[in-house]
Amino acid sequence: MFISEKNHKMNQSKATIYSFINFLNQYFFSFIFSTTFILVILSGLFLGIGIEQSTASRQIFFNVSPWPIYLLLSVLTGLLVFGVIRHGSLWSIGKPFHDWRINIPWRVQNTVRLGVMQDKVRRDKYASVMHWCISSSIIVLTFVTAQVAIEDDTPLHFLNGNYYLFFSFYGDLFGLIGLIGVSMALYRRYYDDFHRIRWDERIEDHLILWGLFIILISGFFVESYRISITELENFPDWAKWSFVSYVLAQFNSVFDFSEELLLDMHAISWWIHVLVVFFWLTLIVFTKLDHFLFAPINAFLLRTDSPGRLSRIENIEEQEVFGVGQIQDFNWKQLFELDACVRCGRCTEVCPANIAGQPLSPMHLIQDLKSHFNEVAPLVQEAGNNGEDVRAVATKAMVGEVIKEETLWACRTCGACVQECPVMIEHVPSIVDMRRFLVMDEAKMPQTAQAALENLEMRGHPWKGTALERTTWMEGLGDVPIFDGTQEFLYWVGCSGSLVERNLPITKKVFSLIQASGSSFGVLGQEETCNGDPARRLGNEYLYQILAEQLIDTFKQKNVQKVITNCPHCFNTFKNEYPQFDGKFEVLHHTQFLEQAINDGKLEPKKSIDLDITYHDSCYLGRINNEYDAPRNILKSIPGLNIIEMDRTMSKGLCCGAGGGNMWQEEIGARRVNHVRSEEAIDTGADELISNCPFCIQMFEDGIPSVEPNEDGRIKPFDIAEVLYQSIDSPQEDN
Amino acid sequence: MHFVICAKQIPDPDTPPSAFKIDETKNEVVPAPGISPVLSQFDGIAAEAALRIKEKLGDVKITVISLGKESAQAAIKQVLAMGADEGLLLEDDAFENGDHYTTALVLSEAIKKLGDVDAIFCGRQAADWDMGQVGLGIAQLLEIPCAIIGKDVDVADGKMTVQRVLLDGFETVEMPLPSVVTVSNELGEPRYPKLQQIMQAAKKTVNKWSLADFENLEATQVGEQGRKLKLEKLFIPTSDSEVEIIEGESAQEQASALVSRLKDAKIL
Repeated sequence: MFISEKNHKMNQSKATIYSFINFLNQYFFSFIFSTTFILVILSGLFLGIGIEQSTASRQIFFNVSPWPIYLLLSVLTGLLVFGVIRHGSLWSIGKPFHDWRINIPWRVQNTVRLGVMQDKVRRDKYASVMHWCISSSIIVLTFVTAQVAIEDDTPLHFLNGNYYLFFSFYGDLFGLIGLIGVSMALYRRYYDDFHRIRWDERIEDHLILWGLFIILISGFFVESYRISITELENFPDWAKWSFVSYVLAQFNSVFDFSEELLLDMHAISWWIHVLVVFFWLTLIVFTKLDHFLFAPINAFLLRTDSPGRLSRIENIEEQEVFGVGQIQDFNWKQLFELDACVRCGRCTEVCPANIAGQPLSPMHLIQDLKSHFNEVAPLVQEAGNNGEDVRAVATKAMVGEVIKEETLWACRTCGACVQECPVMIEHVPSIVDMRRFLVMDEAKMPQTAQAALENLEMRGHPWKGTALERTTWMEGLGDVPIFDGTQEFLYWVGCSGSLVERNLPITKKVFSLIQASGSSFGVLGQEETCNGDPARRLGNEYLYQILAEQLIDTFKQKNVQKVITNCPHCFNTFKNEYPQFDGKFEVLHHTQFLEQAINDGKLEPKKSIDLDITYHDSCYLGRINNEYDAPRNILKSIPGLNIIEMDRTMSKGLCCGAGGGNMWQEEIGARRVNHVRSEEAIDTGADELISNCPFCIQMFEDGIPSVEPNEDGRIKPFDIAEVLYQSIDSPQEDN
Repeated sequence: MHFVICAKQIPDPDTPPSAFKIDETKNEVVPAPGISPVLSQFDGIAAEAALRIKEKLGDVKITVISLGKESAQAAIKQVLAMGADEGLLLEDDAFENGDHYTTALVLSEAIKKLGDVDAIFCGRQAADWDMGQVGLGIAQLLEIPCAIIGKDVDVADGKMTVQRVLLDGFETVEMPLPSVVTVSNELGEPRYPKLQQIMQAAKKTVNKWSLADFENLEATQVGEQGRKLKLEKLFIPTSDSEVEIIEGESAQEQASALVSRLKDAKIL
């Protein structure tokens, strides 16, 4: 199919529609939930207005004395203040965190979208409904209670007439919604097969859930007794508005209780209700319930730059400690996060290391740090106040004992945990901070990681023992233009693209496709060196900074403006991390460049490729740099290709296992991550597994034969450029 | 105590074969462009052996010596970063193009000049020429004992104990101090330096001695002039292999054809 100018325009309008759908998709739930809420209130108002003017009202606290509430309220306030001060003073042992002052509007938006609207909670559909039911019910019922207090204890009186009826209605409605949510939670907690929320279960989890259940149920009973006594006979039209309690009151009348008994039952259930409410509210100070304060705050503190950017250690040569070795080496935001964790297990559920049975569970890592923090932070604080050595107080090494070394090395930095965390914890930067300590301060690392780092230092690339040169891939390609500053693009081949046998065909195809697109470009050839990504991910920030600064100098000397990479890791480093060192370049992953070339009509996939393929999102292009469309659009533009998505795809995609320097490490654990992912690809029944990353391709080349020894009809891994190349007729001729 | 580590900088053994070139007219290896020379792997292991003993004993000074060009400073700094205390570069135009004998001679003179050295650690061989002679040469010239190819080294009570790798196991030898040991890869990987040490090493100045610093040495004794070994021809060997397909109707036929072919070739 020939892409004409017209088609190109259609693509653009299509793109607009897609982006609109994406927008809706992103905000869909927030939209639905907030509009439902508003509609309920509005419709109630209209209903209320439509009713004959009534004198409906109720006598607040008609049967009980309200004074204990205020006593309890002051105790609760005291506890909350105590809680905040206690937590706050402990977080302050951490290092400064200044970033919260920048991008305030963006942070406010995060607070609303992620904290209040709970966008991340919705990534689990069941939890989405459950959590919305519970949280909206708590918010509305707090609002309801506050109105009762205002009505009773201030000169303002508004709970009468139509509004009172409507008030009764939505109070009951959200009580019912709350009960639905709690029932869903009870189901997960007790009947679902060992659900992730039970991976680290504590007594508080039961207390919170049953407490809420009792509060909601007792609330309805209190109301039903009141209705039985004051409204059921005299004002049945009013009573119907409290539709749940009205039904309960009907049951009461079946038993024909005496008024004295009803009054006693009302008083008893009221006391149960109030006491449990206050007990439950104190849990905010002592349990994970604090998340309804901390989650929105953590959303505010969430990074506003790319998740692919690790922090830069400023003046690294003057540091006393490299990375994070003790709890006080974290910044206060990283300590704050520990308190925000609710042990929901979402991070662990998606962690590739955990899925493969390797020794890393992000949830347990955060919880172990939290316990250690609670244990050690007061001592550190005390030592600091007394002018003693704060580094001497911890009896256990945080890195090595509390958090095992193999746990830190198992991380792929794939960002799946960070993506899923509903309270916006950023696990990966903390893990890398601890790796930094291991590598730079203690010089402890797996032998294989050490070999990769030594190779980076000695040879400027991580591929120890390679028999290839950086120019080997050029053989048979004729004149390969060397970048001299006059061309538009630098095609950055990367170490893996030039020094690993399997990737040479990919590099050649990318080269030929760029050439076929007619763009002016050049390569660096022998002058390429590693940009430092493996060093940074493996924790050697010092080496990273040396390599990065050297390369940025080279780029500037050569007047590099635009870079095309065929490695998402190089892409991420250039795009997100080099600006930290004043290296600002326009960076394109080859899939982005090729998509654009197809859209512009410079490349025309004509040959039909009649294959079923599945597409694997590399973490550093997909989840971390949010590029899911460009590669898929290329695949869609190839005639005949049928894309079958894996179950775990796009932002939920599973890492190939190589990220975070694990390309060069021996894996410890039950399985290898690439075997798990290879199986998922095989399960689609596709002929080819397409990816966009040299590491992923290598991992699949190794993983697929391991899980499927039978070569007949076995899925084969290819880079997207290799597939596109096949679909384009002799690309060189088009040039 | 005072230990000496002898370290050599060599062309990177990981140089891709396609980039490894020889100038046959000059009998010289042409340095591959863009590939930096490295510390010989076995010398790093020798350093590891010395450092392990230093960690145990505490009061040990370690001097790392290299005979080479200015670039060999990088190799010295690497060992300094691992934990050695002082670096010494023996550099002089006259030292160049020597052989194992001249190298051992200059090194032994330097060790004499250092004075009270208790133990000398060398790699079992340099990973470029693979001769394994310099350690023995130093011992011979200093007239002290030497144990080669050690997989475990210890210094205690005025003695050096070395577990030597043999073809069929290992033997333990004990030598009085001072002694020389050449260390083999069985000892384990050299340590990865801590960043603090790398930065300290970067600040250290490496002492330099030239021919003029040695009273006992003449220019005729060292470098090219002092060579006892003559290099006749330096070349990259080519290996040819022929493939012959044994034909046959069945596996059995093929097998008997193979057997008779192997008998013909006097392999069976």
